[in-house]
Amino acid sequence: MLIFTLRRFNLFIFTMLLLTILSFSLSFLFPGEQLINLTGQIDASPEQLAILADEYQQQSGLLSQYFSYLNHLFHGEMGYSMTSNLPIATEVLNRLPATIELTCVALLVAMFFGLPVGFCAAIYHRKLPDNLILTIAMVGYSIPVFWLGLLAILVFSIQLGWLPSAGQISLLFEIEHVTGLQLIDILLSDSPYKWQAFQDATRHLILPVIVVALAPATIFMRLARSAMLEVLDTHYIKAANAKGLTFSQIIYRHAMRNAVIKVIRDVGLQFANLVTIAMVTEVIFSWPGIGRWLIESIYQRDYTAIQGGLIVLSTFIFIVHIIIDFVYAALNPLAREPRNGKR
Amino acid sequence: MNLIDIRNMSIELKTGTKPIFAVDRVNLTMKEGEVRGLVGESGSGKSLLAQAIVGVLDEKWRVDADRFHWRGNDLMRLSPAERKAIISKDVAMIFQEPMACLDPTTTIGEQLEEAVDVEQLTGFFWQKRQQRKQAAINLLHKVGIKKHEVCVKSFPHQLTDALCQRVMIAMALARRPMLLIADEPTAAMESTNQGQIFRLLASLNQLKNMSILLISHDLENVTHWTNNITVMYSGQFVEAGTTEQIFNQPYHPYTRALVDSSPKANRMIPNKSRLMTLPGSIPILQHLPIGCRLGPRCPRAQQKCVHAPKIKNFHSHQVSCHFPLKDSYS
Ligand SMILES: Nc1ncnc2c1ncn2[C@@H]1O[C@H](COP(=O)(O)OP(=O)(O)O)[C@@H](O)[C@H]1O
Ligand code: SF4
Ligand SMILES: [Mg+2]
Repeated sequence: MLIFTLRRFNLFIFTMLLLTILSFSLSFLFPGEQLINLTGQIDASPEQLAILADEYQQQSGLLSQYFSYLNHLFHGEMGYSMTSNLPIATEVLNRLPATIELTCVALLVAMFFGLPVGFCAAIYHRKLPDNLILTIAMVGYSIPVFWLGLLAILVFSIQLGWLPSAGQISLLFEIEHVTGLQLIDILLSDSPYKWQAFQDATRHLILPVIVVALAPATIFMRLARSAMLEVLDTHYIKAANAKGLTFSQIIYRHAMRNAVIKVIRDVGLQFANLVTIAMVTEVIFSWPGIGRWLIESIYQRDYTAIQGGLIVLSTFIFIVHIIIDFVYAALNPLAREPRNGKR
Repeated sequence: MNLIDIRNMSIELKTGTKPIFAVDRVNLTMKEGEVRGLVGESGSGKSLLAQAIVGVLDEKWRVDADRFHWRGNDLMRLSPAERKAIISKDVAMIFQEPMACLDPTTTIGEQLEEAVDVEQLTGFFWQKRQQRKQAAINLLHKVGIKKHEVCVKSFPHQLTDALCQRVMIAMALARRPMLLIADEPTAAMESTNQGQIFRLLASLNQLKNMSILLISHDLENVTHWTNNITVMYSGQFVEAGTTEQIFNQPYHPYTRALVDSSPKANRMIPNKSRLMTLPGSIPILQHLPIGCRLGPRCPRAQQKCVHAPKIKNFHSHQVSCHFPLKDSYS
């Protein structure tokens, strides 16, 4: 397990290195002055600029420039937004939790629905349920997100009026900012309207989560289906069968666990995909997350914000990836210890 | 009464065009307490036959037989589910690759416990759990694993192949089977470990009067442990008889080649001067010869051999060949 952890840690360091290099070089590639792109101080006077140039070691070589950039990053200084003039770090901290909430809930929902349905398809391999599920998965996967989002708003918010179409919570509720994660903040707060607030927040969450989760859920369906088929074809399932276990015992005790493990390994990869979908969805549902902010920044040519947002979002994706890797290792005894162990 | 009696069992691979008989009308009978070897080159359908008996072949195969009796019970008249219920109660099977036959994510202990027969347990469920644990440990002792604490907590990949095979045998014993089918139980094992597994099987046979069907691709490897031997080639029945008959007086050209190719046999048949094997190799399923499938490789083949031979019986020594080597031993 130690080796496993060290390996992930190495990977993390290396990826962060590449990411920061990429982000640093972006400040050169964007139009305009590099120093201004990096700091976002568009209205600075020549004297202020001179101080900044000194801070970012503009007169020394590229390498020390990069290191001073890293140094600033480590202290949480990502410059100022060119449009709002607020520190990027504050902007990000205000918005990232909403995105974390949306993406993580959507990931869980996608897995919760995708996996069992995929297993079901595999169990009824080549029979009617299998074909039906495959078709649904194909359709679900090919629906464009923005179309689905708009359609969902049109039907469920405007026509039926069941669910709200925008925002994270009704403005009536005032929730203290503790962790930033809305649902958790609500549960922590001591407002007398706690439960109403919780219900309201959940209702706001439903539509965006469904829109974000649909495509990943269909991918999980197919991953789960092929993993289950693979597992059902193994010798140990045949042996369990010969041992006299019933079909449902085999599925619940042996096949599911092994198939879930196979799928979990690929979930991390799908998460990046899910975040991309979430960014579009945030725009449609006016979700106050980092994705919407990033897309707006792109429209407004706010280069500092783009750089900072990219770094933060990629780091978030990467951290989730590593967490999923650890879940995988926790479930799979083969990944935990090297194979040569006690032989 | 015969324990198992199979007449003309065929196993057909369902394909879109013409059906392929991977196993073509094979006979197999076993008595109680008998150790029978099932021998043939790799790819002759031994594993298929074993899996068909246990009933674990998947849907792409179809099994058919003129007769399939288990202790006088006609299994062909029963539905697959009923057949499976009878068979899984009395027949256990261990497979070729023990490591691959254990669930990699479940501990040995759990896998052993779920094999324990519910009917052997008494009392309330919390008592049963304890009994299950104890039964699993007893099973490990029976197959000669003394360090059971370590073993039950291990995952399959932490054990050696030979240990895994012992665990598989322990699992097979859980239901107190009357017949144990061992499909190449010692493949890919060192010879010391092979000996241990064979001795374990032999002692189970003697102490518990458990019949064993010992499958192997290596005739010489099993002759020491078997009473009788059935030989198969490319899905067809070749020859069956006592171990002595098969080893000292093979009537079928294929068995003869098998015997002659083993170094020990050459000492017993001194008039043989060179190591003799058949040219060519076993045909693949897509290109099976008609009639006797040994035809293209057989030194005695004649025109008649394009028709499948009938089984001839010489004092319970059965051989399926138009031109058996019967006269060459007189
Ligand atoms: N799952 C399968 N799909 C297609 N062909 C198979 C399958 N399993 C076995 N066969 C074929 O059936 C024949 C007999 O195989 P098998 O019973 O494993 O032989 P043995 O155990 O004697 O080595 C071989 O020709 C093999 O290629
Ligand atoms: S039947 Fe013909 S081909 Fe087959 S083994 Fe006998 S002699 Fe050879
Ligand atoms: Mg085999």
